Amino acid sequence: MEMLRVEDLFRYFGGLQVLQGLSFNVASGERLAIIVPNGAGKTTLFNVLGGQLSATTGRVYLMGQDITALAPQRRLHLGLARSFQLNNLFFNLTLIDNILLALKGADLPHFQMFRPLSKRTDLFATAENLLRSMGLWEMRSVPLTNLSYGDQRLVEVAFALASRPKLLMLDEPSAGLSTAEAAAFADTIRNLLGDTTLIFCAHDMDLVFTLADRIAVLYFGQIIAQGTPQEIQANPRVKEIYLGSEETTENAGSK
Amino acid sequence: MKKAILPGSNLQPRRDWLFSLGPYVIIAIILLALPPFLSNYHLSILTKVLIFAIFAISLDLILGYTGLLSLGHAAYLGIAGYTAGILMVRYGLDSFWVVMPLGILAAGIAAAIIGYIALRVSGVYFLLVTLAFGQLLSVVAIKWRGMTGGTDGLFGISVPDLGLPGFAWTPSSFYYLVFIAFAVCFFLLSRITNSPFGRALVGIRENEARMQCLGYNTWAHKYIAFIIAGLFAGVAGVLFAPLYKIMVPAHLGLTTSAAVMLMVIIGSAGTLFGPVIGAALVVLLERIVSTYTPERWPLILGGIFVISVLFMRGGLGIYLSRFWRKVRPQYGNVES
Repeated sequence: MEMLRVEDLFRYFGGLQVLQGLSFNVASGERLAIIVPNGAGKTTLFNVLGGQLSATTGRVYLMGQDITALAPQRRLHLGLARSFQLNNLFFNLTLIDNILLALKGADLPHFQMFRPLSKRTDLFATAENLLRSMGLWEMRSVPLTNLSYGDQRLVEVAFALASRPKLLMLDEPSAGLSTAEAAAFADTIRNLLGDTTLIFCAHDMDLVFTLADRIAVLYFGQIIAQGTPQEIQANPRVKEIYLGSEETTENAGSK
Repeated sequence: MKKAILPGSNLQPRRDWLFSLGPYVIIAIILLALPPFLSNYHLSILTKVLIFAIFAISLDLILGYTGLLSLGHAAYLGIAGYTAGILMVRYGLDSFWVVMPLGILAAGIAAAIIGYIALRVSGVYFLLVTLAFGQLLSVVAIKWRGMTGGTDGLFGISVPDLGLPGFAWTPSSFYYLVFIAFAVCFFLLSRITNSPFGRALVGIRENEARMQCLGYNTWAHKYIAFIIAGLFAGVAGVLFAPLYKIMVPAHLGLTTSAAVMLMVIIGSAGTLFGPVIGAALVVLLERIVSTYTPERWPLILGGIFVISVLFMRGGLGIYLSRFWRKVRPQYGNVES
């Protein structure tokens, strides 16, 4: 089944064409990694898919429904959740308050005004499970700003997972983590994911090859290659972009 | 559900209720017991404190909890006060049960209209739009002489009739009415701020874009909070008019809006008890200063504001709650 379909997506900032006619599909249950050299339009793509930016032209369909013009909160209720490359959380609130806000956001109806939040034992129970599975339960009453950066990265992922999304988008989930942290982080994410459909982008190739079923290479606003991790590793065009062209390498070697 | 997981949240577990409710009960008992010991003059000051306390906590819902800087909050106090006054003075409707709901309703409708427009913009533009509406309404109050009495003010406002046989208002019975209104408003607002809706407002204050990603319709949250704040300001307005016995255009305008904003900020925006302390402080100081040098009160109020922002960032209430948390057993985080 098709989860996401992106058709001919363009996004301009004034005269700067950042996305130049992107088209790709994501099947249900698939884990797609988008790998990019810097400045290739990855953040813009995530913002357009998440609803933070509008598309200049082109269409985005989530499970067959056109979501191109929907507000972020509407997309979330249709099953699309995302994380951010830079931690984008409620740093002055405690960890559990952060998680409760995330859980409540996905929950309808919204305007519960007189029943105290503390009476929502269902939300507390879910929050407890989520925090225990991340190993952060003991930190629940600590203001988020006092958590380590790596733990905050986990909360960023937990935020996106709180709504039990059908399609999860993680923007550089392991950005800023040490190599050791990143390995543990990849394991935690895999445990949390289950069979959620995933789109993520990362510069960390270990994470890409651990998580991804399929890789798409985004270069100057266009997808120049997609395929299984093996195919991408073998693709000469991708090698050229990431390692420089062979000719140059040979020339450099001969001199 | 296991009780053990509750201490992690902002809310105290049940066995701690004595420590949570204790201060409120003691303050309520003191406020209820005071009137026989006070002269009518001092009682009117205390009544004014409680009315401004209602007004300040209503502003705090949008200023402190939601992070919306409204500089036109006096508009709702003024509209409710003028509505109550006009009903009583011009139309002879003096039943409390008519005047109170209509006054609150008028303030709520005004907030619904102004909020719908002002919430199109944010930050300093929001502040300017709310300020402009407050000033606009005070001009309406000046120009619409037939109804509002213009710059002379609308005078002769009395306390609306409760409809009880053989009952007549005295300063102390009016004080008790205001106390009940204050207690009800405080209770309702503390329920609202602790509800999922209220916690969502705090989330919007902290990071609105993120709240949208989490599935919240932040515009609707802000709009509803704005209307609720207008309704509670309306309660203050309906009580304000009979206390002053007159409504003048300045009650709708910038000076009143700025004063209540200072009360909230001096007392601690984002807590409910803070603005109450702020209201008490400002009203009492104004009374003391005014007996010596009334024309310099704005200067002194400005000075107090500067000093409080420089030396008590976060307001008085934060310091009090820190002190209180040292006194009582530790459970989680009460701030925010």
